[in-house]
Amino acid sequence: MAKAKRGNATSSSKMADNSDKQAEKFSLMLDSSDDEAPEEVTFEDSKTQALRSMKQALDTARREKELLKEKRRKRQELFQEQKKRKLLPADVLEEIDPTSSKKPRQSEDEAEEEQQKGDGEKELRKKKKKTRGKLAHSRILKGNYTVATLEERSMASFQQQAAEDFIQSRLYGPGSCRTTSNELLSLQNKKGWNKSAAVQFVKKDWACKEKAKAEKLKKRWIHKQHISSC
Amino acid sequence: MGEFKVHRVRFFDYMPSAIRAMAFNRQSERLAVARADGAVEIFNFSDNYFQEKVIPGQDSRAVEALCWVDQRLFSGGLNGEITEYDLENLKPRYTVAAYGGPIWTISSNNQGTMLALGCEDGTVKMFEVLAEKVQFQRNFDRQKGRIISLSWHPSGTLIAAGMMDMIRVFDAETGHATHRLLVERGVGASKSREVVVWSVAFLSDHTIISGDSAGKVQIWDGVTGTLLRTHLVTKWDVLALSVSQDQSSLVAGTSEGTVIQFQLISSTVGQQDKEWVRTRTFKNHSHDVRALAHTETAVVSGGMDTQLVVRPLLDKVEKNTQESSLRKIVFPHRSLVCCAKKAGLLLFQFPEHLELWRLGESEGHGKPGDSLTVKTKPEKLIQLKRKGEDHICCSALSPCGGWMAYSTVSSVRLYRLQYNNNNIGITKVSRLPKDLCSVHQLCFSSDSSKLFASSSHSSVIVVALNQQECTYLHTLKPKSSSRQPVHLLFASEDGKWLATANTDCEIHIYNLDKLKLHCTVPVYSSYPTAIAIHPLTSNLVVVHADQQIFEYSLEKKEYTEWSRKLQKLGLHSLWLERDTPVTHITFNSRNPAHIILHDMFMFCIIDQSLPLPEAKTLLYNQMTLRSVPEPERIRHSHAFKICKNFQVWSSH
Repeated sequence: MAKAKRGNATSSSKMADNSDKQAEKFSLMLDSSDDEAPEEVTFEDSKTQALRSMKQALDTARREKELLKEKRRKRQELFQEQKKRKLLPADVLEEIDPTSSKKPRQSEDEAEEEQQKGDGEKELRKKKKKTRGKLAHSRILKGNYTVATLEERSMASFQQQAAEDFIQSRLYGPGSCRTTSNELLSLQNKKGWNKSAAVQFVKKDWACKEKAKAEKLKKRWIHKQHISSC
Repeated sequence: MGEFKVHRVRFFDYMPSAIRAMAFNRQSERLAVARADGAVEIFNFSDNYFQEKVIPGQDSRAVEALCWVDQRLFSGGLNGEITEYDLENLKPRYTVAAYGGPIWTISSNNQGTMLALGCEDGTVKMFEVLAEKVQFQRNFDRQKGRIISLSWHPSGTLIAAGMMDMIRVFDAETGHATHRLLVERGVGASKSREVVVWSVAFLSDHTIISGDSAGKVQIWDGVTGTLLRTHLVTKWDVLALSVSQDQSSLVAGTSEGTVIQFQLISSTVGQQDKEWVRTRTFKNHSHDVRALAHTETAVVSGGMDTQLVVRPLLDKVEKNTQESSLRKIVFPHRSLVCCAKKAGLLLFQFPEHLELWRLGESEGHGKPGDSLTVKTKPEKLIQLKRKGEDHICCSALSPCGGWMAYSTVSSVRLYRLQYNNNNIGITKVSRLPKDLCSVHQLCFSSDSSKLFASSSHSSVIVVALNQQECTYLHTLKPKSSSRQPVHLLFASEDGKWLATANTDCEIHIYNLDKLKLHCTVPVYSSYPTAIAIHPLTSNLVVVHADQQIFEYSLEKKEYTEWSRKLQKLGLHSLWLERDTPVTHITFNSRNPAHIILHDMFMFCIIDQSLPLPEAKTLLYNQMTLRSVPEPERIRHSHAFKICKNFQVWSSH
């Protein structure tokens, strides 16, 4: 701390120092004959000075933190206000409320999402319609809102998936020394008495969509050539 | 002999599901098999290994382990739930969440009072088995890794649990872990991966046997917690272990598809000190063996190649008999294809969807054995995906092709099909009668005016079909108080009779004009696998799981003359040695003396006008008959004409 202080002192008051030094030099030069003893600074004084500067540093840090906090809080408040402004009016929420406590929150969230995207009811209806296919039960209320229950994709399925992945990685993952049946049969073909090609050497169903498209284009091109030549 | 055009249908790409777990019930000699899609199948080992019952699967139910407690069947799955199955109504009775994450293993003690579960979160949970449910009792000390496998000590006081890198022995009374047995990791590259103890077995002399992912079968002393012996059996994982009832033989299944047997024998004859010695290796699978069961006389294995293999042990059965042959159960023992005769349509039943195809047409005639050119190719008309999570239990197509129905454990759906020129329209019939809820078998009447659905307590619900809707008509109930499900239904062509067969081996005939029970066929001890009623003579033909054939006259309510003759002479031994059951019987409209039946690998026409084959004559004589000149043939031919050229799923 003392070092830092000294450092600070030097950096902040370099100019002062220089001038001081110059002044000192000047004064030295002027008062070279004075041989003044250096000023005596008591321990107490220097201690209080050190403490004061420490406190000052702490204070500034605290103040800065508080300022940041204030700023953040203000921003958060602003966002909340904006959100509240964009929410559905209270009476619509009341309508959705009697169905269950979970559903209005879901629909609210969905609604918020929708609102935040920018468009109004139209988008909401569209999104609700899209998700209706996935949801199990749905109720249509008056207006353009649908409330539906979501499927329970809880922890159980996540754990089940993790367990299945464990088995999969132990039996088929790296280090399991497995080969495909294609490879096995191909090796048999190569090593047997009647050596033949590997199994599925030519993959007939490879890129079938692209092949069909190419066929169509070819036909079209031929047709065009035919027309242009006639 | 008539000539038949055979439509070779090669577009039914049925894909069976991998076997994930199995459990053998020694008292009833039944094996429960759980598949990767959640389906549970029950095979009756005492009745020619017939697939008695099938409980369809469900999307989220990933069964990891099965367990019998008396006659009740429980399963634990990766969805974290214990499910008890109702074997009389072929659906899950209830599910109980274990709240421990995915359940890896489930095992009951010898007394049948407690169920222990091994869970993902590292706890061994104890559930009490009560009369109507299972109830959580307590948790054992929670461990740091997941519990992959469990085994009770026969006395019920200790449990050995296989985890990652170690085996823990718990005291069942206090729930504290007493011993920790550290399992070595594999060599080389697998040293960095944890070793998973896939399976443990706790024997009554406190020996613990473990199979792990480093390919070792290790023998431990459970009292001191020390390793006695290590057998490195494979470079890959040892996935399953099973110990015989008398604890003298052990089998281990590996990722290579091999099943290795260890036996407790003394190394020198006469000595007292016995140890586990590796004896036999069976390689009957092409992929991983994930489930094993050691019965008294055989080793049953199943795995990723979807086949169930029963390998009798030659030191327990007589050599070179029917009993000692290897059995591979590959295909389901019931019909998954429905044919609409008049419309030329086929309905294929998959676990998650249905496909409706129109058969192709050909022209011209040819000699027997020729292939005719196809004029119009077969085309897929509709692919109908099932609604909800449950898999399809059964399906049916009406003979005129206008109605299609399928059922799951929770609902029945009926669809009306309309054909205009080249288009096909399908509309769902809403508002079905309430009684149609959990149905095991569906069947349309031959004039497509009624739908028969088998329901609980062996009853059949009759529903009338009008233009666009269906109305409930009647419920047909048998006199017996059987609670078993009906697995076969057949409506006669003249619309007068309905034949049902249930898994109690009872066959009931109902008179549809009067809508009441007409008669019950005398019970034969083997399961009926196919039934049919002759359109002209009204004789009921039944084939059972042990390959016996009976013919019963419905008018006179007694066995026919031909049937008595067949029983007196007995069926040919080669016929009785066939290992797949007959799944379908039909008749030839051009020749009333013909009965056409097939199983998965052969197609047979029984000509009742010809003499029956004696025990010593050649049964499969079609090829030899062809080489013999015409007049001689009459002398040599017998009633059973069998063709093995095709793999047959259905015939009409």
